[in-house]
Amino acid sequence: MPDPTEPNATPLRSEFADDPDMAELIELFVAEMPDRVSELHRSLESGDIDQLESIAHQLKGACGGYGFEVIGHAAAALEQVVRSGERDVSALRSEVESLVTLCSRAIA
Amino acid sequence: MLALTANAGKPVLLVVDDSPAIHRLLSVKLRDEGLEFLTAYQGEEGLELAEAHQPALILLDVNMPGIDGFETLRRLKSHPETIEIPVIMLSGDDAPEQKVMCFELGATDFVTKPFDVSELRARIQSALRIRTLLIMLAQRAQVDGLTGLYNRAAFDTTVANEVARSIEEGEPLTLVMSDLDRFKRLNDTFGHQAGDAAIASFAQVMANEVRSYDFACRYGGEEFALILPGTAQEEATVLCERIRREVEQLSWAKYPEMSTTASFGMTNRAKDPATPDDPRSWVEAADDALYMAKENGRNRIERFGGDGTDLDDTLPVRLAG
Repeated sequence: MPDPTEPNATPLRSEFADDPDMAELIELFVAEMPDRVSELHRSLESGDIDQLESIAHQLKGACGGYGFEVIGHAAAALEQVVRSGERDVSALRSEVESLVTLCSRAIA
Repeated sequence: MLALTANAGKPVLLVVDDSPAIHRLLSVKLRDEGLEFLTAYQGEEGLELAEAHQPALILLDVNMPGIDGFETLRRLKSHPETIEIPVIMLSGDDAPEQKVMCFELGATDFVTKPFDVSELRARIQSALRIRTLLIMLAQRAQVDGLTGLYNRAAFDTTVANEVARSIEEGEPLTLVMSDLDRFKRLNDTFGHQAGDAAIASFAQVMANEVRSYDFACRYGGEEFALILPGTAQEEATVLCERIRREVEQLSWAKYPEMSTTASFGMTNRAKDPATPDDPRSWVEAADDALYMAKENGRNRIERFGGDGTDLDDTLPVRLAG
């Protein structure tokens, strides 16, 4: 029985998981997630806010098309906070963490 | 030498987006649209591909590192080679100011990311349809409906360009004005449909005889013009003589009694030496020669400046400029 308080416990499947056209695309997209997660962590630790914004922007644009709308929304939220002028890394931590959590849950 | 050419091959779609995930998604989701894909990850790369491959449509991401979508669009729309290519902007931002700016810079359409694929497909097909209609319209505006030759508007542009080019490059240029002899009588005898048939056949002979770089046009009514770049009068005379002989031999199953002939007047310079580069003066010179051909018995070729009694007794070919 997975622990419901542990976010990694529930895998997040693409809404298009049953579309045979999309299977291979989604697999590739999910396979790239660990890289995006570590890039998000690295940017957060080094305080590279522009890079955070850029990753968030790309995820916002692409996730919907791959059937991960929830991740897209989290990415949009992070982009929104950065664009509102927040330059303090610690204030961005919670948005980055929720995005990272969702990205880590994605499965093909 | 007909101006309308078929549009061959699949339309090329250039996608400019920094995200590989978007390129992959589009190439799968749009694979049934009958398009050929070109891929660019940066604005600069997109500009180069657009100029080199002349795609039918560009999908352009607004937010990219390096030069962004706005700047890429601005540059596309300021180069004559790429200005006509329709552009659909893709953006993760749907602020009205951003959309307005895209349209002001010359974008055809705007789609927000994440995009709905069926909507994007519909917008792509709509942009391609409008492009096809615009191309058709531009071609139609240059073509005479009855004969398929270029029309008067296309002639005016071309004669001005060719006269200027001939003078600048010191290349010979011959302008020929020609018309069917006693056309009014033919119309009165056989009817206007027979007259149209005679005009169409005359045009067909011209279209068959001219070379790919010549320009044949219906100047108006039964009058036609030939612009022959890089061609001195001797060579032009040979060409016109071939046309003249073929016209003489034309026959129509529907009008067995009908026959016709054509007269030609040519020039290699302006009528008024004070304005050597004035295209109207070139037309006047060719018209004078045509008038002389009519005066001298029709079904013949005369040169401007010749004395009208013998074709060989003319001025030597003078290089323009």
